[in-house]
Amino acid sequence: MNRPLACLACLLFFVRPLAAAGDDPPDFSREVLPILSDKCFVCHGPDAAELGEDMRRLDSFAAAHEATETGRAIDAKAPHQSLILQRVFSADDPMPPEDADKQLSDAEKGILKRWIEGGGNYAKHWAFVPPVKTALPAGSDNPIDAFIKVRLQQRRLDFAPRADRPTLARRVALLLTGLPPEPEQLQQYLGDNSPGAYARLVEQLLDSPRFGEHQARYWLDAVRYGDTHGLHLDNRRGIYPYRDWVVRAFNRNLPLDDFITWQLAGDLLPDATVEQKLATGFVRLNPSTSEGGAIPAEFQAKNNFDRTETLGTVLLGVSMTCARCHTHKYDPITHADYYGLLAFFNSTAESPMDGNKYEYGPTLRVPSDQRAWEQWAALMQQGDDLVRSSVDALKSQQKPPVADNTAAMLRWLAADDSPFAGTATQQQALALGDQLEALTQQFTTTLVAQELPKPRVTRVLHRGEYTSPTGEALTPAVLPVMGSLPNAAPSNRLGLARWLTSREHPTVSRVLINRIWQRTLGYGLVRTPEDFGVQGQQPTHPELLDWLAVELQDSNWDLQHMLRLMVHSRTFQQSSAWRSDVDDPENRLYARATSYRMDAEMIRDMGLWASSLLDPTMGGEGVKPYQPSGMWLAMAHPASNTKKYERDSGQRLYRRSLYVYWKRTSPHPMMTLFDAPDRESSCVRRSRTNTSLQSLGLLNETQRIEMSRKLAERLLQDETDDNRRIDRLFLKLACRVATDVERQVCEKLLGAMRQRFGDEPDAARQLLSTGESPTNEKLSIVEVAAWSQVVTAVMASDAAIVVY
Amino acid sequence: MLDLIREHDLLQTRRQLFGKTALGVGTAALSGLMGDAAAAGEPALSSGTHHPAKAKRVIYLFMSGGPSHLDLWDYKPKLVDMFNQQLPDDVRGGQRVTGMTANQRNGLPLCPSKYRFTKRANNADGVWVSELLPYTAKVVDELCVVRSTFTEAINHDPAITYIQTGSQIPGRPSLGAWLSYGLGSLNKNLPHYVVMHARTRHPEQSLFNRLWGPGFLSSEHQGILMRSQGDPVLYLSNPQGVTRQDRRAQLDALAALNQQQHQRFADPEILSRIQQHEMAYRMQMSVPELMDLSTESDSTFELYGDDAKTPGTFAACCLNARRLAERGVRNIQIFHRGWDAHGGLPREHGSQCKDIDQACAALITDLKQRGMLDDTLVVWGGEFGRTAYCQGNLTRDNYGRDHHPRCFTTWMAGGGIKAGITYGHTDDFGYNIAHPDGTPMSPQPDKGSWTPGTMHIHDLNATVLHLLGIDHRKLTYRYQGRDFRLTDVHGHVIDDIVA
Repeated sequence: MNRPLACLACLLFFVRPLAAAGDDPPDFSREVLPILSDKCFVCHGPDAAELGEDMRRLDSFAAAHEATETGRAIDAKAPHQSLILQRVFSADDPMPPEDADKQLSDAEKGILKRWIEGGGNYAKHWAFVPPVKTALPAGSDNPIDAFIKVRLQQRRLDFAPRADRPTLARRVALLLTGLPPEPEQLQQYLGDNSPGAYARLVEQLLDSPRFGEHQARYWLDAVRYGDTHGLHLDNRRGIYPYRDWVVRAFNRNLPLDDFITWQLAGDLLPDATVEQKLATGFVRLNPSTSEGGAIPAEFQAKNNFDRTETLGTVLLGVSMTCARCHTHKYDPITHADYYGLLAFFNSTAESPMDGNKYEYGPTLRVPSDQRAWEQWAALMQQGDDLVRSSVDALKSQQKPPVADNTAAMLRWLAADDSPFAGTATQQQALALGDQLEALTQQFTTTLVAQELPKPRVTRVLHRGEYTSPTGEALTPAVLPVMGSLPNAAPSNRLGLARWLTSREHPTVSRVLINRIWQRTLGYGLVRTPEDFGVQGQQPTHPELLDWLAVELQDSNWDLQHMLRLMVHSRTFQQSSAWRSDVDDPENRLYARATSYRMDAEMIRDMGLWASSLLDPTMGGEGVKPYQPSGMWLAMAHPASNTKKYERDSGQRLYRRSLYVYWKRTSPHPMMTLFDAPDRESSCVRRSRTNTSLQSLGLLNETQRIEMSRKLAERLLQDETDDNRRIDRLFLKLACRVATDVERQVCEKLLGAMRQRFGDEPDAARQLLSTGESPTNEKLSIVEVAAWSQVVTAVMASDAAIVVY
Repeated sequence: MLDLIREHDLLQTRRQLFGKTALGVGTAALSGLMGDAAAAGEPALSSGTHHPAKAKRVIYLFMSGGPSHLDLWDYKPKLVDMFNQQLPDDVRGGQRVTGMTANQRNGLPLCPSKYRFTKRANNADGVWVSELLPYTAKVVDELCVVRSTFTEAINHDPAITYIQTGSQIPGRPSLGAWLSYGLGSLNKNLPHYVVMHARTRHPEQSLFNRLWGPGFLSSEHQGILMRSQGDPVLYLSNPQGVTRQDRRAQLDALAALNQQQHQRFADPEILSRIQQHEMAYRMQMSVPELMDLSTESDSTFELYGDDAKTPGTFAACCLNARRLAERGVRNIQIFHRGWDAHGGLPREHGSQCKDIDQACAALITDLKQRGMLDDTLVVWGGEFGRTAYCQGNLTRDNYGRDHHPRCFTTWMAGGGIKAGITYGHTDDFGYNIAHPDGTPMSPQPDKGSWTPGTMHIHDLNATVLHLLGIDHRKLTYRYQGRDFRLTDVHGHVIDDIVA
């Protein structure tokens, strides 16, 4: 066994040390509650009553300390008489019962014993207590580093050395924009040894429109954005303007509290703008059906389940699903709490069935892509300016009509009986009005939320059955365990948003910052980003998580500020090389940066970018690049309007992957091969697998063959000799020149391929015929073919597809 | 490393799940990586499971759309005299009816099957089989025909999602993904979970990735589509102009490049990717070899029928399934659409049965001849059955039937299943599950109780897992704080049908 492997072996069997044992009472929230939750609450939890009236609850102090005929579960005065301890250590009649699936370990019994001997006190689960900033540990410029360092020092460790500058530039560019730095940007940064060089690079990246596109992707996974309805026919759904709004929101650095509020309740804001209304597409993202024979009441319930549970995953960080049918087994969420929260969503105006329609109303008409948005915004600005100046000029003489929109005011200005008749103002108003009208004609529709005039009645559904409503009609209510509706907040979706974004809310800021950390550092501070509840994992650095959560609020929910804090930290800037002195395969200490294989979209986008094929056009209806034929047809209903994959041609083949058409029952195979979710349900953490099918995709997929060909052409055109071509190739993909070994490997392959295609130019011609983009006829086909094989190999190699 | 950690976690999980003997690709991958080739290889049948497995692999023939139990397996002669009479309310017993027939003009007129049924001898009291299934009728002594399968869902999307994932709402792992998660792979050259879509003349109803999807399990557990059009496995073929030798040279370069990255970063995931590139290269040989039916004998084609020579037919899929099984693929699913006969049932079911009948029988016979039936579980069935009442116009010769969740027929054969029996009864209408004397019962899929003689879809899934050596209550995955399982909190192994 050679050394790296021996080292690997010890890493694999690295065991996390147990919490220090001693006589002090253990920390309830971190040590005791997870045991109670995992081993006891299945019967003795919040829903104990469902198992029988005398089933004792152990999830509250009062219940556990209560005197009953048989005694107290916890007897603080006589701990050894506590029923918990008697039963847990009983040989004859143990708890958990002998046939229970989950048994207590000796260590766990010990913790319970110390806890009860220490008084058996309870505390609220950490995540349900609003975060506060603890004092920063001394000795570091960056607050993140200060917290990370404390734990490193406990292990007598220090940060890893900084990553070299090319690696860091690549890492930060991929993190922020999903693409490597532009060559000029990279050169500028590498050539700039002044202190602010890195900060300047970071600012350039944050300013790039590619930033919003890349950040949007994570959000779209979480909220399960798709271009089809998802269920049954899986027909087309017109909601891509929502996706484009998310991109704009990130590019504009819209504060995250507004980002959330607009999505939940933009339509309920006073004087709601088009964009605020458009953002409520969030409420409409649940998969929907119009299957023949489906019962509307059933899907009214199911659609709401989906929304409520998705809210739980995306923002609350708790699983709501248990409480759909009964009181939650682990977290303090009752059956009624669930339906109180659901009631916020139960009064939206859309039909429970989608009618298989693209315009599954209510919809809103909006500009159809980013360019149209810009034109529209500019025209509206000009219109507003004109209206304002005209009205100002008029003020003394005549009262203008009150119209709530620019178009109507322009019409008034342009009318023949307008006070401006015959003036330049009238002409301008006329022209602007016409232009606006023409643009509006090309608007598309997008699904939005709208409130019914009279709310639907919501009741608890017994066992989650839509046919079994019980009890009183419920008013919409927030989860009691997470505080209460802020003062003066209305009892509707807007109130819900106010609650979620209030400073008192315990989880939202933590959940958001945890996911931002997760994409920045490779793993979340809470490793179960979908679950901050009692059964979720404890944060690796609780004080840091809370500090960041509060900082997010303090900064006015400024995503870019938070990203800056992270990317300027030493923690982020460390080398990602594995350390032989640290046993930490999951990188819980952050004693190195995390290297990881890129997501599906990044892999494709980088290839398009490197081969100069990438089309930067933003927004619009989803695009359909190459896909093996028949994939949709083999699965689709004959009446589905997505049964045929009609591949695009021209520039639309080369748009960023964010814009690839997302058919929920069959997403693009190059996405699913590389772990993209189906977007039928929320995904806040993708898996990251290595499979042989990925290898086949990397080496054989049409678009990748085309990328290789085009990049080969560029290398041949732009550089004069093989050495420089190899360097250029590595510069693009890895932000560095080739090492000697890499150069030798490439030269060897290049030589073999030259020989091969020289002997058989027809094979070269065949290879180069893949993909729609034209071939540069001036170049030797043998050279292009040979180089394309080198490019394919390097582009599939870990130097290219891994972030270091 | 994420991958290896996960592999390790998985192995740990499986050790916890199955005890210390857990073996499978997890161990194989790890030991391979650590240079210990001896530990790699095929695990013994009984190791690595909760209890000794009776079946080593499963071939699941899924009839999407809901085949009519009344026209295929569940003989109801008394309906003949009740032609066009309304379904009695007490038989319906408040069962909800889909929006398609809830308000139809002719109400719920009873509709006898037009097909002749014959009683075939099996190893028990015999079994009635419709003339639509002449070939399958000849292998009934190998089948366990369960007439009392039931579900709650009454529409396709929820029902098919339910039977395949244990939940009516998307998001959970599929049966196949659970098996992959629990058992790992027996094979290093082929995907371990293969899905095929068989051709039909009536492609009503759609299929969804989620039916073989990983849900919240790692995406490596998703089913791999084996296609009849283009590359059988996506992106299997080299681009035009690139030979296998060229690819070898390229992969050697790729491996050398990756080795170098590994030396720089010591990230063990890099080694795992090197292995996967090599497996892909092997797969480029093994899959075409698999798909090449030219080595099959004439007698095989006689058995499966000439259809088997046409790629994509159900018969070809069945033959491929046997070839996959021979090569150590333990998890094979064939989806055949077109069973949703709301109208014109005789025409549609006639053609559907022609697609599948001979091939189903051939698969059983073929496996048996090769000595593989003993450790191969074969399952046949759909997401629900069809109503005893007619949808649309009713004549003696032509009719349609709506969706029916309360009872439908499923059959199983092979590994661990009692051969040649029937299980469960339905009432004279084929509407409710019943006691042997025909008195209806209304079983609930409750965790506490199971009604003997019935098989809820959770019971079906529990039994499938059981036969493969897995306790459905113990195969869990923690997601969002909860230990999820395929059967949720339900499911009972139907011991009565286990050999």
